[in-house]
Amino acid sequence: MKNADVINHVKGTSLFIDDFPAPEGVLHIAVFDSKIACGKITKLNYDKVLSVPGVAAVITAKDIPGENQIGNIVSDETILADGEVEYIGEPIAIVAADTVENAKAAANLIEIEFDELPAVTDPREAYEKGNLIAPPQTFSDGDVEKGFAESDVVIDGRVDIGGQEHLYLETQGAMAVPSEDGKIKIYSSTQSPTAVQRAAAKVLGVPMHKIETDVLRLGGGFGGKEDQATPWAVMTALVSRLTGKPAKLILSRQDDLRMTGKRHPYSADYKIGLSRDGEILAYEATYYQNAGACADLSTAILERTLFHATNSYFIPNVKTTGISCKTNLPPNTAFRGFGGPQGMFVMETAIYKAAEKLGVPAYEIQKKNLLKENDSLYYGQKAERVQAERCWNEAAEEFNLQEKFAAVKEFNEKNNLRKKGVALMPICFGISFTSSFLNQASALVHVYTDGSVGVSTAAVEMGQGVNEKIRSVVSQTFSISQEKVKMETTNTTRVANTSPTAASSGADLNGNAALLACNNILNRLKKFAAESLKEDDPAKVEIKNEKIFYDGKETGMNWESFINDAYFNRINLASHAFYATPEVYFDRTINKGRPFAYHVYGTAIITAEVDILRGVCEIESVDVVHDFGKSINRQVDLGQVEGAVVQGIGWLTMEELVQNDEGKLLSNSLSTYKIPDIFSAPKEMNVKFLEDSENPFGPLNSKAIGEPPFMYGIGAYFAIMNAMKEYNPNADKEIRAPLTHERVLMSLKNLK
Amino acid sequence: MSNKKNKNLNRRSFIKNIGVGFAGTIAAAPLLKSHAKKLPEEIKDSLDGKVEVTVYVNGRKFRRNIFPQTTLAQFIRDELNLTGTKVSCNHGECGSCTVLIGSDAVYSCQMLALDADQKFITTIEGLMKNDELGEVQKAFVDKDGLQCGFCTPGQIISAYALLKKNPAPSEEEIREAMSGNLCRCGAYPKIIESVDAAAKLLKK
Repeated sequence: MKNADVINHVKGTSLFIDDFPAPEGVLHIAVFDSKIACGKITKLNYDKVLSVPGVAAVITAKDIPGENQIGNIVSDETILADGEVEYIGEPIAIVAADTVENAKAAANLIEIEFDELPAVTDPREAYEKGNLIAPPQTFSDGDVEKGFAESDVVIDGRVDIGGQEHLYLETQGAMAVPSEDGKIKIYSSTQSPTAVQRAAAKVLGVPMHKIETDVLRLGGGFGGKEDQATPWAVMTALVSRLTGKPAKLILSRQDDLRMTGKRHPYSADYKIGLSRDGEILAYEATYYQNAGACADLSTAILERTLFHATNSYFIPNVKTTGISCKTNLPPNTAFRGFGGPQGMFVMETAIYKAAEKLGVPAYEIQKKNLLKENDSLYYGQKAERVQAERCWNEAAEEFNLQEKFAAVKEFNEKNNLRKKGVALMPICFGISFTSSFLNQASALVHVYTDGSVGVSTAAVEMGQGVNEKIRSVVSQTFSISQEKVKMETTNTTRVANTSPTAASSGADLNGNAALLACNNILNRLKKFAAESLKEDDPAKVEIKNEKIFYDGKETGMNWESFINDAYFNRINLASHAFYATPEVYFDRTINKGRPFAYHVYGTAIITAEVDILRGVCEIESVDVVHDFGKSINRQVDLGQVEGAVVQGIGWLTMEELVQNDEGKLLSNSLSTYKIPDIFSAPKEMNVKFLEDSENPFGPLNSKAIGEPPFMYGIGAYFAIMNAMKEYNPNADKEIRAPLTHERVLMSLKNLK
Repeated sequence: MSNKKNKNLNRRSFIKNIGVGFAGTIAAAPLLKSHAKKLPEEIKDSLDGKVEVTVYVNGRKFRRNIFPQTTLAQFIRDELNLTGTKVSCNHGECGSCTVLIGSDAVYSCQMLALDADQKFITTIEGLMKNDELGEVQKAFVDKDGLQCGFCTPGQIISAYALLKKNPAPSEEEIREAMSGNLCRCGAYPKIIESVDAAAKLLKK
C-alpha cells in the first residue's frame, strides 16, 4: 500500500513551502549576512535601503521585540548579530520587500564596516586557544592503562573526518501569516515544529500559544532542519509581527550553503590495544569536534559520538573524551547519525590499522570482537537481543563472502591498473534520544462520522515514510483500509510540545502514541458494540476488515454505519494519547545508564574498484543483512537503507567541504560540492531482512531505520583502502575523509 | 520593446547583463526600477519593462507580459502557477527544474522564458492522462522511485524524455540519461527500477 504522498509527488501536486499560494500582500525577505568570520561591527547603516521602492522593513538586532536568542541547548545564538559576528553567513539584518528581487537589491545597499579579528577554523587550534563550546566530556569503563599494559600490540594514530552538507533539495524556508490578536501561523520546513514555536515566541516576546507552527512536509531534512530551520521561520514571524503582513523566506541554494551548518568535521586521536590473536583489550579516543560558532546541538552530537565509539564491539577497557571546539564557521548541526558515524569511523580506523600491524585482515578482528548477548556496553547498558553475530554470519553466508574474496583476489592478480577491495562494516546503533526527556510523543486521532480517520502526531514527514508507517499502524489497529486514514499536517495547536522528528525515532514514538490513541477509541467502540448487541463482553467484539464481529460471528454491522451509530449514541470518537519510551535514563554525573530503548544491528559487505591511473573509484556492490525488527513497510525500509548507504558513501568518498583560512566556504555550489549522482550509487545493492527479530519497544515490533544504515558507508572507505593496498602497499596511510578520487590518486602515487 | 528585439538577447549578454541567481537579481532590479520611473504612472503597471511571451505548456497556449530576465522556471511556477516544477539550485546543477521543450529535457532554471517563446513545453502536470497517471508516473509509484518527492518531477521528466528517444534503454543508458538529476534521499536504485518499469509499461 502506498502513501498518498507518493501519488501527489509524481503528479507534481504535493506542496512544499515555496509552492503554497502566497497570501495577498506577502512580503519577501532577504537576509543580509556577515562577510567576515570574526569581528566587531563598527558601522551598520541602512538609510539607502529604506528609499528602495517596495521595501517594507529593515530589521536589525535592536528591533527585536523579545529576546535576541535562539540557542536550543546553550543560549549562545542570536537571530541577528548584535555588535559582533562569528562566522561568514551569520545573519545581521533582514529586509522585507514586495518581491524577492527588491528585497535582495535593497539588502545589497546596506553599508557595514567591521573591525576584523583572525578567524579560527581548525578544531585543534580552537582547543589550544581554549575556545570550547562546553567542558570536555569523558566516558570510561574498566581500566585502559591496565588494558594497554596487558596488550601484545598497541598502536595509536590520528584521524581527520570531513563534514557533510545536508543538501536537502528543498532549501530552508518558511512563511508566516498574521492573524487576529497578535497570533501568527508559521508554515515551516522544520523537523522540529515546537523548536520553531518556542524560538519565535521568545524572539517576539509573546507566549507560545500565540505562535502556531504547521508542517506539511519537507523536501528532505537529514537533520539539517532539526535546529536550523528555526532562524528562517523566526525571521518570517518577526517580519510579520513588525509589519502586520504575511512574510516569506526561501533561502537560495547559495545562501543556504553559506549560512547553515553541516555535519561536524572531527579530528581524533585513538589508541588501541589487542592481544596477539586479535582480541581488543583497550581503546582510548579523543575527539575534537568542529562545532562552528554556536553550540546548536553540538554537545548532544558529541555525546552520541562517545556512545558509539566502540560500534558493534565489546571492549573491556575504554576511555573516550569529547571536546566540542568553537570555531568561526556556521554552527554545525545534526546530520543523519548525529555524531555516531564519526565515532564509528575512528573505531574502524583503529581496527584497520591494528590489522595491518598484526598482519591479519581487519574483518578477523571485527568478527572476533562482535558484541554478544548480555555484554555490557561501556556506558553501562547491557546489550540485549543482540543481533551482531547473526547479521555478520548471515551476510557472510548469504552473499558468499569467501567466494567474493576469491573473486577479488583473482581479479587483482589479473589486473594491474584496476584493483578491487572488500570491506565489512558491522553496525550497532542505539535508538532513543540520548536526552531522555525528548523520548515522548503525542497523537490525536479523530474518527469522523463517515468512518474516515484523521491522524495528527508530532512526526514530520520528510521522505522517510513516517506518515506511511503511522497510517499502517492506525489502519491495522482499527482493521480498516488505509485509504480511510489521512495523516494531517504536524501542527503545534493539535499536538503540543513536539520532540523533533530526529534520532530515527519518529515512527517509534509517534507510532506508539497513535497506537495508544487508536486503542482508546477501539475500547470505547467495543463497549458500545457489545451494548448495542445486548451482549455483555466487550472483549469478544472484534473489528476485522471493516466488519464488526462478536464472539467470532459476523454481526452485520460494518465500520461506516457502526461509527455513525456510535456518534449518535454520543461515543467519544476522538482520542489524544501520549507515549514515553519506558526504561531510558542516563546519569551524567557518572556517564552511565540505559540511554537507549534498543539497538539496531546489521552488517554490510562493500566491494570497491579503483582505477589506478585516474584514482576513480566505483562502489561495485553493497550487500547488507539488516535488522529491521518486524518491518511495518518493507518498501519504505528498503528505500531508507539504500538511500542511507548512498549518503554514507557520499560523505566518505566524494563530498568535500572546503573553506579558506578566512572561514569562507569555497565549495559553495553543486559544481564544487559533489553529492552522489546516479552513477555514484553502488552498481549493485542487495539488502536482506534479518528474520525473526523482535522488538517490544517499536510499534508492531518494528525497529527504527533512518540513521543506522548510513554507517554502512564507512565500509566503502576501507574497501577503497584495501583496493589501493593491492596496487601500492605503501600508499599514503593517512586516514583522512573524504577519500576523494583526487586523494586516492595522490595516495597511490605517494604524493601530497 | 518588441518581442523580436528581445529574442536577440543571447545567453552571453544575458549572463553579462543580468546574470543568474542572487547577484543577477540584485543587478537587475535597480535597472528596472530606474526604467520604470521614467514611465507615466498609468502605463507603468501595464508595461513596466515587461515583454510579451507566448508559450504552449501542456497543450495550452499562454500569453504573458514578463520581465525579460524571467527564467523559464520562474515563468512556469510564478506566472502559470505550475508548481510541480521545482527550483533547488537555480544554477543548472541539480535537475529539479527539468521540463520538456519539444522532446528534449532541459533545465528550466537555465533558460529565459523569452527563449521559450513559441515553444512547446511539457511539465510534470502535463504527463497526466486526464485524471490517470501517465506510465512513467505510474512506474515511479510502483517501484517507489522517490522519497521526499522534491526531485521527483524532474526525475520523471528526464525519464520520460529518455524513453521517448530510447524505448528500451539499458541500465547504463538509464544512468546516463538520469545523471543530470540529483536525488539527495539517494533513491537511485529504485529510480533505475522505475525507469526500467516505465519502459515496459510504455511498450504495452
